[in-house]
Amino acid sequence: MITIDNLVKRRGSAKILSGVSFRARPGRVTGLLGPNGAGKSSTLRILLGLDRATSGTALIGSVPFVKLRDPLATVGAMLDGSGAHRARTGRAHLRWVARSAGLPRARVDEVLEIVGLTNAASKRVGGYSLGMGRRLGLATALLGDPEILVLDEPVNGLDPDGIRWIRTLLRERAASGRTVLLSSHLMGELAATVDDVVVVNEGKVVADGTLDEVTGPYGTLEDAFFALTTGGAP
Amino acid sequence: MKALAAEASKLASSPAVWIAAAAGVLVPGVIAAITASSALGAITRGTEANAAIDTGYQELAFGVAGAIILGVVGVSGEYVTESAESGGGRQITTSLTVVPSRLRFLLAKMSAIAVSGALLAITATVTTMGVVRVVLGEHAPAWGADDVPRLAGVVCYWAYTALLASAITVLTRHGVVPLAVLIANTSVVSVTYLLTKITPLANYLPDMAGVRMFIRQLADSTAEISPLTGCLVMTIWVTVLLVIAVISFTRRDA
Amino acid sequence: MTVPQTTRTRGQEGARALAAELSKLVSLPATWLTLGGTLVVNLILAIAFTIAGLRGSTGTGSAPDIGLASIGYAQAGFVVLGVLAACSEYTGGQIRTTLTAMPRRALQFTAKHVALAIVVLPAAAITAASGVVLAAGVLGDAAAPVTSGRVAGALSGVTAYLALTTLISAAVGALARQTLAAVVVLLGYLFIAGPLLRDHVSAAKYLPDSAGVAMWFPPAGDAGAVTPVRGALLLMAWTAALMAVVVLGYRRWDM
Repeated sequence: MITIDNLVKRRGSAKILSGVSFRARPGRVTGLLGPNGAGKSSTLRILLGLDRATSGTALIGSVPFVKLRDPLATVGAMLDGSGAHRARTGRAHLRWVARSAGLPRARVDEVLEIVGLTNAASKRVGGYSLGMGRRLGLATALLGDPEILVLDEPVNGLDPDGIRWIRTLLRERAASGRTVLLSSHLMGELAATVDDVVVVNEGKVVADGTLDEVTGPYGTLEDAFFALTTGGAP
Repeated sequence: MKALAAEASKLASSPAVWIAAAAGVLVPGVIAAITASSALGAITRGTEANAAIDTGYQELAFGVAGAIILGVVGVSGEYVTESAESGGGRQITTSLTVVPSRLRFLLAKMSAIAVSGALLAITATVTTMGVVRVVLGEHAPAWGADDVPRLAGVVCYWAYTALLASAITVLTRHGVVPLAVLIANTSVVSVTYLLTKITPLANYLPDMAGVRMFIRQLADSTAEISPLTGCLVMTIWVTVLLVIAVISFTRRDA
Repeated sequence: MTVPQTTRTRGQEGARALAAELSKLVSLPATWLTLGGTLVVNLILAIAFTIAGLRGSTGTGSAPDIGLASIGYAQAGFVVLGVLAACSEYTGGQIRTTLTAMPRRALQFTAKHVALAIVVLPAAAITAASGVVLAAGVLGDAAAPVTSGRVAGALSGVTAYLALTTLISAAVGALARQTLAAVVVLLGYLFIAGPLLRDHVSAAKYLPDSAGVAMWFPPAGDAGAVTPVRGALLLMAWTAALMAVVVLGYRRWDM
């Protein structure tokens, strides 16, 4: 369970988040939806201990991320880009991450297989396409076979094949009782993947509920999104 | 002309370039303040009769580090991907779609760098010489007709050094190596100076020849090179390296 | 799935962080290019110094004096290595992977510097020894005689100096988070500001560069000079202080 409680983030005079609260529950895929600059990434970065909140808490279970005894086996995270240095090979990147958690080398080959990068594993990350970089990021997130996945814009840069594949993967994780939290600004993709929706706009949660509850009166998630984020019907 | 304006605005909007400019003005200025005050001490104690002929100029020879940084970051900025947000995107791709002719792009960039290097040199010279005058007062070396070509020599040396640095960076496509090598060679006892102890030919390396444009007393000089010859030698070096940079840049994938 | 679900101890966590940081360093091509390039440049300069030494009008120096003269320039390579080790984190957003895998930042920072020291110590020893061996070989009997104790002292002094300089560079790199900015600051200090300050300000002998040089370059009969041991202690204190200051910021920054 991920519990975000009243997060506030100021950067200089700009207010990035002004009191964001929501939960992501086990066995469900939770989608964080909002336009660019709404505060989706900031929320996820604070959750992962990369940024510090001005106030409020973000907990994994009952502790902040940075207090986790075994972070990689608890939370798998993918933020924008590949998260890998361009001069390293994909395999070398996964190896050092695996070492940080004491995972066996064999696990690196397993996740490479899962994301379909086995053939590109010996190529430098600098030569990867956008989609391959995202797959490597996902492989990193899956390394510790974690209870919780936190993914920032996971379908960005993936081809239709990749999008279907990641959707299946996330549904399977949720079906086995794990927690998935993802952010996106692509409504169509989100509608087909998520159970719960949290809509943020200008640093505030404007809607929070099951997909049906949020879509409810608007017909489609896309209509709901525009109604909620622009303050009127499209 | 539009390409030159674009390159000039790229330079002006890069924080690294402003840091280079600050370094180029502050380094010789502060060093001149320190050396001039210790020279003043020696004069008032009577151990020295008057300030050395190269007072101020010597400091400007170190300050050229600012021109080196300018030349390197002006080019490496096109290739750097250090920002986590850039997602591997490099400015060079944008630059070459805006100015498709690589020759024109590179010439515009080099012109912008040379002009900025010269402007930086003028600012640094005014500052450094001002500091020397203020600290030494009546003991400062008197201005003579010889100072006009010498000051022009400083400006020329800085602009040329900025061009050399950027031409080398075009070849390496990464700023660290040229920056490390060129700054290490700006030290008090430079590698090129060391080489002159082995072969007099080393006096014709770009920096050793170039400083003759404004330095009059080179310690343990192993060759006599006139300011004009020094200028000519450095011009040849800069031209050759620029031509190599242009050839390599126009032929290879961005 | 072959993932063992065990809770790890603090000691294990530290050991794994060190293993991860070592793995990062050795899988980065820039590490080997920098170390190899530095060794080659150092050898070329050592040859130049040896030839200059043979022609020297003031008489030939000893093999360690001549063979280690090039270190003054070769240290630039170690500075670059330290900066690259720190700043490579900021390429491709790798720092986010690092900090989600090792969220305790002080531990990760320490592990990174220990890993760097492990890689640099042998490399520094090889670089230092290469110049001395070359000078001794070329000079032969022409070299001024020197005791083996003095050679060992100079070599260990240089090795420690280069390793500590690399750690300082990594800390400055972590502070600047920009390769070029960190390299400019460090080399500007080591090659331009430092030597000039040394000539004009007497307190400059306690600064990291002068204290470090005192570790291997014998002070010329100056009573107030810093001894090798005190130089080593001073440089270690500078390194530890800088790392401590940087880690304070590193723990708080948004990455």
